[in-house]
Amino acid sequence: MKTGRMVTMVFKSLAKNRLRSFLMMIGVVIGIAAITMIVSVGLGAQQRVLDRVKKFGFESLMVRAGGGREVGRPAGSQPTTSLTLEDINALKREIRAISDAAPMSVKGQMEVIYQDRSTTTGIFGVTPSWAAVWDWDAADGDFISDEDMDGLARVCVLGPTVRTDLFGTLNPIGEQIRIGNVPFEVIGISQNKGISPAGGDMDNRIFVPLSTMMRRVANVDYISAAKILLGTAADIDMTVASIRSLLRERHQLAPGVPDDFTITSPTEITLMAEKVSGTFNMFLALVAGISLLAGGVVVANIMLISINERRKEIGLRKAIGAKRKDIMRQFLYEATAVTLTGGVIGVILGMIGAKTLEYFTKIPASISWESIAIGVFLSSLVGILAGLQPANKAASLQPIEALRG
Amino acid sequence: MNKAVIQAANLTKTYNKGGGGEVHAISDISLEINRGEFVAIMGASGSGKSTLMNILGCLDRPTSGTLLLDGVEVSTLDDETLAGIRNKKIGFVFQSFNLLARTNALENVELPLIYSEKSDTRRLAREALEAVGLGGRIHHNPNELSGGQQQRVAIARALVTDPEIIFADEPTGNLDSDSSLEIMALLRQLYEKGRTIVIVTHETDIAEHARRIIRISDGSIVSDAKNNDPRPLDREIHKNASQDAADEDR
Ligand SMILES: Nc1ncnc2c1ncn2[C@@H]1O[C@H](COP(=O)(O)OP(=O)(O)O)[C@@H](O)[C@H]1O
Ligand SMILES: [Mg+2]
Repeated sequence: MKTGRMVTMVFKSLAKNRLRSFLMMIGVVIGIAAITMIVSVGLGAQQRVLDRVKKFGFESLMVRAGGGREVGRPAGSQPTTSLTLEDINALKREIRAISDAAPMSVKGQMEVIYQDRSTTTGIFGVTPSWAAVWDWDAADGDFISDEDMDGLARVCVLGPTVRTDLFGTLNPIGEQIRIGNVPFEVIGISQNKGISPAGGDMDNRIFVPLSTMMRRVANVDYISAAKILLGTAADIDMTVASIRSLLRERHQLAPGVPDDFTITSPTEITLMAEKVSGTFNMFLALVAGISLLAGGVVVANIMLISINERRKEIGLRKAIGAKRKDIMRQFLYEATAVTLTGGVIGVILGMIGAKTLEYFTKIPASISWESIAIGVFLSSLVGILAGLQPANKAASLQPIEALRG
Repeated sequence: MNKAVIQAANLTKTYNKGGGGEVHAISDISLEINRGEFVAIMGASGSGKSTLMNILGCLDRPTSGTLLLDGVEVSTLDDETLAGIRNKKIGFVFQSFNLLARTNALENVELPLIYSEKSDTRRLAREALEAVGLGGRIHHNPNELSGGQQQRVAIARALVTDPEIIFADEPTGNLDSDSSLEIMALLRQLYEKGRTIVIVTHETDIAEHARRIIRISDGSIVSDAKNNDPRPLDREIHKNASQDAADEDR
């Protein structure tokens, strides 16, 4: 029988048994939806890592105050006070591979007030080099300048989110806001950076001169971290080693004492991101695997039942000339048509799911041909595998046995 | 061309019963059926009529014996080749119609053709339905047709491939007497147009429409005689059949 004709026949037959077809589909729909989500979110995570590396730059390192492998320090512990602006200057001075550095002092969750409005935001004390090192300048007005640094100026650059929260549509430049109890003049609005790979709003922050931050806001003489920009020809591993030994020397750490700082390189960031998305993917892969397996078993069983119910039909078809392979194909196509339809529905639901997840959790999802192709491939595969045995059983029926009913 | 469509010699079919016993459904049956004959195989229930018909129709294989269909030895052919032969040379009509449910008359009649190499299958199916007087019901599903009409669809399905021979196993077994006559009238009409027809029945009334009656009992032929005096057809039935035919022309 011609394939086109067979396909039409099969879809007609499925349409005649809507409930049965629907039941056969459910498992596959769930499985493929889960897989589509995995692939979409997985690709999103990959994209996120790439974006991050792109933003962060390959030729860069982060030096943070505090030891340990984890990013950030355990809740409730004392901040590490040993990393200073002088350390960063020394690194810049003594390690040739370092082309620039952007030290920062960060204080999260501070209340800022403009007239009767207030919001909570992170305060970043930065030097003018921030703009170049992070590629993160003022979009409107000015960024922090050397004069601001030297004069401990009470000026600030608002992230777009803070600007909207405090000023709505008004022009904030030249206005006074209060950070803690200190008045600051708004001199600029920073570039829009959107959602960070980790899910934070990178536009919800305020930049102030690092010197002002240390003296007038946080009242500390240490910094939180610095981003180090390397020259193009720099060997990252060697540079990390030099930074480490210089900092240990400056902090007078005896051999055996752990580092009181952490150096993060792009590879570590990549690994971290992979680990995060890996856990999530494992879970979804499990869901997908189980539902596809269950879906396949359901399809196979309903097929077997329906073949039993359709013995007379099979017998008749054979009596009037259907060959083994005609019957085999008919039932394989039926199984595949069901799972493929389920697969297409699953892909669509999975995409909707991934986008919904993105909307609510900011975990980026990337819809791509890969996810569609994988969904279509896997659902056909399930159909073929699940249909094989029932189809073979149908094809092996002897016409008179089957006709007898 | 070979005059005999069917040449069977010493056909036997033995079933194993549970407990080691054997059932000889048919034993040592030899017969010939010529092109253009209208034969009734008659016998009591369980006498082996269906077994014989299934073997003659290549639906089943004899335990022993030889069978030539259209001059070709078929008892040694494999399943796939037999399927091809059934498709091209044989038409079947069953007691319980065996139409596909929720599938209209046209598609039911078309079914054998989709397993053949024939093209223009729609037109052929439509013509076959017209030939059995159902040209006006082609889009009806089986549940929208009377028993007699359903059996006529089944006859159209048997006719549509232009087979050498048509087998009908108790074609009137599920029908009331009016519909039975209607079906027998149709089969006689087809016979008169030159078709070779073999029916299986346990009813003398039905068998007497045929021109040759083979009686079997306990799996063996007990008589094989011409019936030169077929049962007269009720004119009323004839009229009804042509009435249906007239319906479709509108
Ligand atoms: N598949 C089978 N297994 C065992 N016995 C069978 C089978 N088919 C038919 N028979 C037996 O063969 C005999 C003839 O059956 P059948 O050809 O159906 O008779 P009829 O059609 O004349 O009523 C019966 O005794 C029946 O029980
Ligand atoms: Mg019988």
